Amino acid sequence: MTLCEKLSKGKFVITAEVAPPRGIDYHKVLSGLKPLKGKVDAFNVTDCQRSMVRMSSLVMSHLLLKEGFEPVLQLTCRDRNRIALQSDLLGAAALGIRNICLMTGDFTTLGDQPDAKPVFDLDSVQLIELASSLNRGCLMNGKEIDARTNFCIGAVFNPFAGPETLQVWKLEKKVKAGARFIQTQPIYDIKLAEEVSELISSTGAYPIIGLLPIKSLKMANFMKKLNPTSVPDSLVEGLERSSDPARYGWEYVVDLAKGIYEFGKGIHFMLVGKVKELANFIDYLRNNGRGNEKN
Amino acid sequence: MVVVRLKPLEDILREVSGYGKVFIFGCQLGSARCKNGGLREAYRVAGFLESKGIKVSGVKSPGGTCILERLTSKDVLREAGRNSDVILSLACGAGTQLIAEHVSIPVLTGVSTLFIGVEREGKHFDEYCIACGECVISETGGICPIARCPKSLVNGPCGGAIAGKCEVDPSIPCIWYKIASRMEEIGEIEKLRKTMPPKDHRSCIYPRELNLEGRS
Ligand code: SF4
Ligand code: SF4
Repeated sequence: MTLCEKLSKGKFVITAEVAPPRGIDYHKVLSGLKPLKGKVDAFNVTDCQRSMVRMSSLVMSHLLLKEGFEPVLQLTCRDRNRIALQSDLLGAAALGIRNICLMTGDFTTLGDQPDAKPVFDLDSVQLIELASSLNRGCLMNGKEIDARTNFCIGAVFNPFAGPETLQVWKLEKKVKAGARFIQTQPIYDIKLAEEVSELISSTGAYPIIGLLPIKSLKMANFMKKLNPTSVPDSLVEGLERSSDPARYGWEYVVDLAKGIYEFGKGIHFMLVGKVKELANFIDYLRNNGRGNEKN
Repeated sequence: MVVVRLKPLEDILREVSGYGKVFIFGCQLGSARCKNGGLREAYRVAGFLESKGIKVSGVKSPGGTCILERLTSKDVLREAGRNSDVILSLACGAGTQLIAEHVSIPVLTGVSTLFIGVEREGKHFDEYCIACGECVISETGGICPIARCPKSLVNGPCGGAIAGKCEVDPSIPCIWYKIASRMEEIGEIEKLRKTMPPKDHRSCIYPRELNLEGRS
């Protein structure tokens, strides 16, 4: 079953993030993921995340697929105009990549090539429309192509960004344009996770709640700098008190995941640091969770 | 208005060295308004260059260097071209090119042309328009998301818009907060639910022209 088939059948999905290497040796990345094979439903392959040069997400998605992992190809508007985006998506379809996650992308100046030319020819909503048009068998200009693509289109949502009304409307625009699943920025509060799940479900898409284990107080402060309201004080206090902050941060997220499992549709681990723990935890969830999961 | 920034005087000195007599042009429209290339700055540059042993043959600052008619009518260009070896222009890129079209000596620029912007209390200037050729601000409360959002997003803010600040540079506000409150204020916020189509970039492929002939 593919990611989208699982989602539409009401199966709880677990995705995780993989960054392509900063170089050409991809074997290490692939072998590191082995314990998660058959456990994580799909791997988001990031597209030069934070505007740092890495191997192409399209190529890395292909390599994952060849190794028997299901990829979610992330594609941003930062580096490609509409010609390149369509070209890459056609290539992805030809390689059998089914899942795509489309977003505007971080700005160029935030990364390791701050002198690059920012492209942003399309925005995330327009890119999703473009992919939907390929699914109907047409290029963006309306010209027919030889076959329809069959993409399961995803997008992202940051519940901490504003202004709230416009963020929600943009989410609605994405779903209207054809996004079927929405992956969120990391959330550290079960009530918020539930609200966001409901919000996304109300637009007609499947919510996949982002989870990012916090490894240290330093990381918590970094996250707070990015999204001041995202990290609750209780988490920071817990990290301060704990003699093993990494363990505390992991368990915090595990508890959250268990909670989301009760009402949600899916979770997205934005770090595959603790591969073994994650594999064990997924086994635990699958074996102790909701009745409909046992298959 | 077009906003320019005067180059560091040392850089200007390096550029004009070796040419002989320098004629300095300012511009009383944009460059003077932003205090980076009007008559006052032209004299300041002249004084500096003279203190370094460069001969300055004249200083002028027409009321709009990019307005050809005024320039030619004043004959300043011909005068400058006759008694100087090089012209240093503090006008914007357009004005400087126009000068160069009318003289047969080298023309150097003493400014960097920055953007189309507005003045804030005479203290600083903000970019407001990138002349994108297909104006959308009727849809966005008269506030431009093309020039004032680094990603030129037209369908609403990106996910990096946190607490009113822009992800690209937290010292500047995310313009979508301004657009939202303005649209709220004028009762048009619902307009922002509409998905805006991709931009037709043919409207901003340069060089562009505006033709007045044959206009009805
Ligand atoms: S939409 Fe284009 S033309 Fe209108 S103000 Fe913005 S940049 Fe200028
Ligand atoms: S934070 Fe706002 S202004 Fe900055 S890039 Fe995102 S949408 Fe544009």
